[in-house]
Order: sequence, then structure tokens, then C-alpha cells
Amino acid sequence: MIKIENLKKKYFETTVVSDLNLEVKKGTIFGFLGPNGAGKTTAVKMVVGLCQPTEGKVSIDGKGLESLSSREKIGYMPEDPYFYEQLNAHEFLDYMRSLFRKNNRDIDEVLQLVGLKDVKNKNVGAFSKGMKQRLGLAQAIINDPEYLFLDEPLDGLDPIGRLEFKKIFLKLKKEGKTIFFNSHVLSDVEEICDDIGIIHKGKLIYSGSVKSFCKGQPLEKRFVEVITKEISN
Amino acid sequence: MNNIWVIAKNTFKETIRDKIMYGILGFALLFLMSTLFFASISLGEDIKVVKDLGLAGIYIFSIIIAIFLGSSLIYKEIEKRTLYIMLSKPVSTTQFIIGKYLGLLLSLLLNLVLMTAIYLAVVYYEKGGFDTLALWAILLNFLEVSVFIALTVLFSTLTTPLASTIYSIIVLYIGHSLSLVRKAAEKSPEIIRWLADGVYYLFPNLEKFNVRNFIVYSVHPTSAQIIYPLLYSVLLTAILLWLANLLLKKRDL
Repeated sequence: MIKIENLKKKYFETTVVSDLNLEVKKGTIFGFLGPNGAGKTTAVKMVVGLCQPTEGKVSIDGKGLESLSSREKIGYMPEDPYFYEQLNAHEFLDYMRSLFRKNNRDIDEVLQLVGLKDVKNKNVGAFSKGMKQRLGLAQAIINDPEYLFLDEPLDGLDPIGRLEFKKIFLKLKKEGKTIFFNSHVLSDVEEICDDIGIIHKGKLIYSGSVKSFCKGQPLEKRFVEVITKEISN
Repeated sequence: MNNIWVIAKNTFKETIRDKIMYGILGFALLFLMSTLFFASISLGEDIKVVKDLGLAGIYIFSIIIAIFLGSSLIYKEIEKRTLYIMLSKPVSTTQFIIGKYLGLLLSLLLNLVLMTAIYLAVVYYEKGGFDTLALWAILLNFLEVSVFIALTVLFSTLTTPLASTIYSIIVLYIGHSLSLVRKAAEKSPEIIRWLADGVYYLFPNLEKFNVRNFIVYSVHPTSAQIIYPLLYSVLLTAILLWLANLLLKKRDL
């Protein structure tokens, strides 16, 4: 389980994330939603340990991510990922895999899964946006993590790419993985997520099941309604 | 320890594939071979000219490579967010900084070995024999460059590649002028002597690594001239990398 308790982030006088409390059950897909600038990326960065929270704590299976060994069980994909352009896809994944004590996934198998096997020897510098997204996911799953944190994983993918990614997420969920991801593509979130959290101006305004939130309406419609109401308050 | 080596290996791979490095190395090798022309017009001082220009060329081009590649080493990782991917893995900032440093140092060592091979071939061709004495100058050159790489790594955690390059050149100039500055301040008012002393101890004294003049005149450097710079470079490198690590740790990504 991912447990986020009273997480807060302040940059000088600006509070970017405020009193975030969330629990994400193991083996589920959790969609973390919010308008642009709501604090989603900052929250994810605090969860994976890339930036220090001003207050609060994060624990995964009861343990914090302060120690390096606890990062063995997580995978992270940043928004709009970049890579080492002089390496090819296979070399890059080999590099990433070598940083873990346990090398659990075969590189060719992962490349096949994300649809990059045919270009494994191509320099990453020549990759398109969609290919980089695929490689971003590949490096996040190369260590066969129990918990995946993906920031806008569907960004830049064509409809076929998005369908392939959704299939991968559902496959990983069947394997018992927990996926926590941000996305603006709400139709995809509605399709695959078990639970969602909605953040607006750094504050969590909803956390729970997709069904309870949607109340029979499309997620996008309900999301716009809720955010508009928040803005007018 | 393993992660340091993994990062170093991949940094080495990246830097030796960088076209900028090939360009600089190409110029360096051309320059070294051109010393033969300058030797031919030197009126009987062929070997001295070849050694002088050759060692100076190796020094200048190794510093250029260190500045160009080092000044963007960490900055690029922050700007392109590859650092996010690295630090979300079981990699500490210490391992990252040391790994990047060692990777660049290894690629610079490879360049230095290539330039040294051409230099030795040119000296041999000019009937100067196998110039083993020059290897001491090149070793000290390597120690100086290893400090310089640590310095550019520090700058690249702070600022843009252009600013890092400018600061590095300033430090290079000051580092080689410290003894002159201090000597010139000897007969000045106390405040100026104070300032000169402050600058002398604050900046790295890079002239300690320069034994090229001895080598050109076939004078063997003393043990002190080898050991003290070795210890100095290790200490300075450790301090600079420690500072770079501290700054990177404090940075909110």
C-alpha cells in the first residue's frame, strides 16, 4: 500500500501541495487528476523522493523511501522523458537495469512489450516523442517493480499507442503491481482506473472510486463540473 | 560501489561518442603533428620546439576537452530531467556525482593517452628518442585536469554551460597567476597583501602541476614536485566533489 500523510510542499511563500492524504491499495490502478498547475507532478516527485516535502511523509508497505534499497521496488517515469542520446535503446535499458541489485526483467522482453524491439539498436537521440514515451515506460518496469509511478504516461501517444499502454497497465495489474499515474486523458483513466484522486490548487478534493465520482456520467464531464465549482468557490 | 562504476562506464560511453570531443581531439592531433613544421624553422632548436609546443598542446587541448564536456555534465542531466530517472533508482547523489566524474575522467585519460602517443612518435621522429621524462609532465597534466573536471562538475550543478565555461577559464587564468600576484603584492600596502593572500589560498594553485619547462630542458622533476601535486589534486578533487554533491542534494528537482 502507498500511504501519503499530510504531505505539504512550499516554495518560499507559495504552497504548491497542501495537506495531501491518500491511500492507494496494492494491486490497483490509481489515477491522479487535476488541472494544469494543480500540484500533481510535485506530489509524485515527493512520493518517489525527488523533492523533499515541507511537511508530511510517504510510506510504501509501511516503509519510507529514504533508504536506497526501498527504491528497488519502485519504477518512475517522469513527464516528457529525455534520455542519454548517445546510447541506443538496448544500451539504455541495460544501464538502468544495472543500477538494481536484482535484474528481473529481460531487456528484449521489455522492449517487445512496449513495442520497441525493432528499434533496439537505434540511438535514443533519433527517437520520436511516442518512442520516448515507450522507452520511458520500459525503463520504469525494467526492474520489475511492485509500484509504478507514471507522470503523464499517455502523453504524445497516438490512439494505438494509448491502447497498447492501457493493455500493458492492465497486464501489470494482473501481475499484482500497483500503478499510480497522472493523466489528462480522462477517457483512458475512466477505462482502466480503480480509484482516482483529484487535486486542485494543491488540495485534494476527491479520493475514491471512479464509479462513485462519476455517478453515471462521463468522468470528463464530472471532472469539469467539480473543478468549475471549486474555482467559483 | 557497483552503481558508481555503472554510471562511470555509461558516462564514458556517452562522452567518447560525443562529436565535440572528436573535433577537439582531431585538432589536437593535427597540432601535435604540425610541431614538426615549427621545428623545421627553429634554427637548430628542433627538439626543444617540438617538446615545448607538444607538451603545451597536450595541456591546452586536455583543458579544452575538460571544460567543454564538464561544463554541461550535470546541468544537462537537470535540464533534460535524466537526473529524475537516475535518482528515482537506488542511486544516491554521491554515487551519481562520483560516477559522472570518473566517467569523464576516463574519457579524458583516453584522449591524453592518444595525444601522448602522437607526441612521443613526433619526438622520436625528430630523433629525440623515447621521451620518458615527458611522461612526468603529462602525469601532472592529468592531475591538473582531474581537478579541473571536478571544478567543472561543481559549476555545472550551479549554472549554465556558458557560465560554467567562463568561470572555469577565469579560475584557470587565476590558478596559473597566483604566485605572480602574491609576489607583485609583496611591496604593496597591507590590505593589498591581505587580498593577495586571500586569493592565493582561495583559488587552486594550478602552477604546481606545471613542470613542462623542466622537461623541455631535460631536467627531472623532484619527488616533491610529483608527490605534493598528487596529494593536492586528490584533496582538491575531494573537496570540489563534496561541494557539488552538497549542492545537488539541496536542490529541489
